Amino acid sequence: MTDGMIRKAGVFEIVNHWAMSITFLVLGATGFGFLFHMEKMNVIFGDFNRMRTVHNWFGVAFSVLVLFKIVLYLPHVLSFDGDDVRWLLQGGGYLSKNAVVPPQGKLNAGQKLFAAVIIVAGVAMAASGFIIWLMPGVKRWLLLSQLAHNVSFDLLVFAIPIHIYLASLASPGSARIMLSGTVPLAWARKRHAKWVAALESKAAVE
Amino acid sequence: MAETRRKAILISPESCIGCRGCQTACKAWNQLPGQKTGDPANFQNPPDLAPTAFNLIRYIEMPGDAGQLRWLFVSRRCMHCGDAGCMKICTAPGALSRTKEGAVVYDQDKCIGCKLCSASCPFDVPRFDGRDKVVKCHQCHDRTAEGFLPACAKTCPTGAIRFGDRGELIATAKKAGYEKLYGETDLEGLGTLYAFRETPKTYGMIENPAVPESVVFWHRVLKPLSVIGTGAAVALSLIHYIAVPPKRDEEVKRDD
Ligand code: SF4
Ligand code: SF4
Repeated sequence: MTDGMIRKAGVFEIVNHWAMSITFLVLGATGFGFLFHMEKMNVIFGDFNRMRTVHNWFGVAFSVLVLFKIVLYLPHVLSFDGDDVRWLLQGGGYLSKNAVVPPQGKLNAGQKLFAAVIIVAGVAMAASGFIIWLMPGVKRWLLLSQLAHNVSFDLLVFAIPIHIYLASLASPGSARIMLSGTVPLAWARKRHAKWVAALESKAAVE
Repeated sequence: MAETRRKAILISPESCIGCRGCQTACKAWNQLPGQKTGDPANFQNPPDLAPTAFNLIRYIEMPGDAGQLRWLFVSRRCMHCGDAGCMKICTAPGALSRTKEGAVVYDQDKCIGCKLCSASCPFDVPRFDGRDKVVKCHQCHDRTAEGFLPACAKTCPTGAIRFGDRGELIATAKKAGYEKLYGETDLEGLGTLYAFRETPKTYGMIENPAVPESVVFWHRVLKPLSVIGTGAAVALSLIHYIAVPPKRDEEVKRDD
């Protein structure tokens, strides 16, 4: 393998990521609108009835994207290992300038954790959202869904700004993964040693 | 809520003769159509509150003295709770609001039909019309604002439904020998009070009504946490960026 660029994310993964970020922005903004009765939102949506329609249909799109997310990332989440535990215990090396962290796979432990949060909160959001929308008849379910929807909301509005920060300012060179999909090999070897090693041994066999 | 202005309805089941004049008057004033209900098991009809029935006389049959039948008539409707679960959970501003008389009223144009209020109401009151918009007893706020009695109270021939100043109603009932009214203190006081001779259960009412715990938890914790959480995430990111600036690419290479 030459010392050039290496593909870290495919086109489908990148499109899914940005599509999801758009649904997240719309759903989050309208979600805050419902939560705090922000009548200013009417400037954009006209009234709360229309805002509800937008929220629901973006929710449908979000749910489909969550399904893709599961297909794309669940295998990574399930590959969580001892190195990942140690990586997390060291705060991923983000707590000091000279930290040396355990070698990581294609996703580091923090990214696996974030993918897990998106999958769990995303599924809870989608399921509870559909229950509130389509079957509000059973009160126990309605209350449970309202609770699940709001717990997931809190989780996501906390996790996503941190994700944005860690994937941009905190880690120069990361943002391009979700733009071009490729990273310099040296950069990848440094941060995802196990992944690059596996690729290289595979290439050697072939 | 200005307690001095708060109005209430006082229901005295012992005075009710089950004529259902109130049900009819409610329908007349609110222009609600009749409803086909099949064969009722007893005289209670319709069987429960409905989008076309904001007020309902419940007929309760039980064994009385000396093998006789005891028949109780209890009006059921929105309680206009001081701490109203429906208002707490509502997602649309202005869909549910409180009048200066203390009644919990609705605006169908603002309601988005999410139906969460029906789950948060301790008394299973809100109903939804054909367009999925909330409907329920509104204490005839359109009448009371003009100084008229609610249609039910106006019609009741025995005084089993009375409308007036909440404090005065309570005082009168106490003078008549009722130690404590149902709804006197529950949920910061109900706007529909009941003068019961026996336990609320006898009259088919729940003891100690409360807003569902999950709704209270959401309101007190989850709701503020959404703002605090977002703020904290942004603040932590900024602080981290200043305290532990990112390693630049040269440093990464040097490490290799
Ligand atoms: S009885 Fe139900 S609908 Fe009426 S004010 Fe109380 S919570 Fe709201
Ligand atoms: S159904 Fe209407 S009144 Fe009830 S909570 Fe939803 S928006 Fe509010």
